[in-house]
Amino acid sequence: MRTFLLSLAAMFMAVSAMAQVPSVKVENSKGEAFDTAQLLDEGTPMIISFWSTTCKPCIRELEAIYESLPDWLEEVDFRVVAVSTDDSRQLAKAKSFAEGRGWGSDFTLLFDKNQDFMRAMNVTVVPHVFVVDAKGKVVFSHTAYVQGGEVELFEAVKKSVRK
Amino acid sequence: MVAIAVYPWIATALHAESAADAGKQTGYVTAGFETNTNWYQTDPKTSATVPDGRFGSNNYLKLDYYRSGFSAGMQMETYAPALVGYSADLKGAALTNFYLNWKDEDFSLTAGTFYDQFGSGLLFRSWEDRAIGLNNALTGARVTYSYKDILNVKALWGMPRFGMKYSSTQVKGADLSFVLSNLIGVKNTYLALEASVLDRYETLDADRQADGCSPNTTGWSARINAESHGFFLKAEYVDAGTKHYYNTSYAGEGQMFHRKRGNAQLVETGYNGHGLGVNLSLRRLEWMDSKVVTDASSNVNMLNYVPALCTQYTYMLTTLHPYGARTGEISSRFTNSGEIGGQIDVFYNVKRGSWLGGKRGMKVHANFSTYHTIAEEGTFKSGNLLFRDISVDVEKQWTKKFKSTLLWSYQEYTPSYGASRTTWLSNIFVADLLYKFNSSLAARMELQYLVTFEDQKDWMAALLEVSFAPHWSVYAADMYNHGMTKVHYYNGGFSYSKSRTKVALGYGRYKAGYICSGGVCRQIPAYTGANLSLTMLF
Repeated sequence: MRTFLLSLAAMFMAVSAMAQVPSVKVENSKGEAFDTAQLLDEGTPMIISFWSTTCKPCIRELEAIYESLPDWLEEVDFRVVAVSTDDSRQLAKAKSFAEGRGWGSDFTLLFDKNQDFMRAMNVTVVPHVFVVDAKGKVVFSHTAYVQGGEVELFEAVKKSVRK
Repeated sequence: MVAIAVYPWIATALHAESAADAGKQTGYVTAGFETNTNWYQTDPKTSATVPDGRFGSNNYLKLDYYRSGFSAGMQMETYAPALVGYSADLKGAALTNFYLNWKDEDFSLTAGTFYDQFGSGLLFRSWEDRAIGLNNALTGARVTYSYKDILNVKALWGMPRFGMKYSSTQVKGADLSFVLSNLIGVKNTYLALEASVLDRYETLDADRQADGCSPNTTGWSARINAESHGFFLKAEYVDAGTKHYYNTSYAGEGQMFHRKRGNAQLVETGYNGHGLGVNLSLRRLEWMDSKVVTDASSNVNMLNYVPALCTQYTYMLTTLHPYGARTGEISSRFTNSGEIGGQIDVFYNVKRGSWLGGKRGMKVHANFSTYHTIAEEGTFKSGNLLFRDISVDVEKQWTKKFKSTLLWSYQEYTPSYGASRTTWLSNIFVADLLYKFNSSLAARMELQYLVTFEDQKDWMAALLEVSFAPHWSVYAADMYNHGMTKVHYYNGGFSYSKSRTKVALGYGRYKAGYICSGGVCRQIPAYTGANLSLTMLF
């Protein structure tokens, strides 16, 4: 039984190493339909961060990324995609909230109002971040955020470029 | 044998030259696992609920396989038994979700279980929210078609889930979005016209059949969605079809069930730009409840999404009396056809270097929301106050190490769901203070106070959380009703997260009340005990 469980865990780790960004329809800031497969078009690494307006750690993490971004971009060329998982109740608020934080100028903002993208990436709780390399491969994934955790995230971005 | 069988697969995967390319050729699997497990104990202070076995556990395993345009997946759920406060219909273990999906640039086809939403969800929404035990996924089929970036059409048929099974209720619907601005080539302006239609069929019981009710409820919605240079406007009109409500004064003559036409109007407008976000929402609802199974008492028995449009707080004392939207009720004490009201939100980023913003800027948010019963059915006349909230919060980064958030919320609500004019008031004050000692050690403290002359009088609360980046976090909190009951609601615990795994262990005493997620609330009884939560993503 133990061997089976270890094998199963190893199998998941192996196959999930190939996980990519699935094609799912979400909304952009204007309310237009946006296919998440288009995120790969630019061919640069990216952080995909799932957040919501009622998730304080999510906001703290995105704020930490926002504050560090100018310094990080001097080292590595990459993008930050902030995916709001707020449903239609909070959708307008999420857009205003992001604008009120200045995120719109530095992040690609997407709105996943029925959590289709979140479900497709198998995210169960927010915050959850992924680092996707230039080829579209998920090379790092992390759930939850504690203050200072953004350092580990940026290391993963740098590592994705070095690979 | 199993191990032998999977090792070649593992080896192949690990040695793939380019994982992304390999993924396109052989596909890839992702999986998510979540458990929330409680151990309950008796607590005479709160008359805490203790189920048989003193144990509850909600477990979810979800698997998805993707290969090019094809995907397939399943979800398994186990309730051993369900946590206290969850629907009694969630029990045992079952393969609850299973689907096959194929899509290319224009078409998609789904067979099996899926989630979807028309517009804002007032007419129809199927979704999952584990926090409140809601899952009304459809099992059936859906087809979607997109023509360039101008037209999006979808049609679906299915039976919504209720508890661990799929109900015999049938839902058929279609949704269309026509992007006019892209058709005529207008730049910097987005204008879409949208429409939906939905038919719900349920076999009627003998009383409804005898009363001449129809098993079909057919509704529709029409929407405008526009955005230009930061200004936006969304408007939606919903005709939700004819609903049947039991006539509480029925005495053998006339109709046993009232016929009511469900309808809703929603307008959202505002501006986002230059560090300013303003949005105004106005909404009127009348007879807008839509259930998976008529007469089932579960509070997650819903086929549409009618959330409370007000601030959804997360601080302990601000959530003591959450508001839930009123969709219309007929009872022996009073009749109210729904609610009318609105909210306005203002978010502003005070720039760095300004007099008010200082060196590091400041973020300000204010909200005003107010909702009333409908005084006269079929009109826009507002009646008794249901809920009112005025709040202001200010977030300020004082130094590189210290940040504060201050919140004031004035909440006024009706204890009678609008049957009388009596309302209760409370003023809530919160200070949320964060101090970073170094790059990996930080402490956060919440101090909260609620002032009221009604209900259980004054409350106070405090929380201290210490985090050790990037993995550990420990916390302790207490919420104390010093106005009347003198009961402490203490809790504490820790969490550890590494990569795709998060585990949290806590212990505490929890108050009876409501857990709200996404504007939908679930009533929970008081309980005391330990909680283990684990989430893993593979």
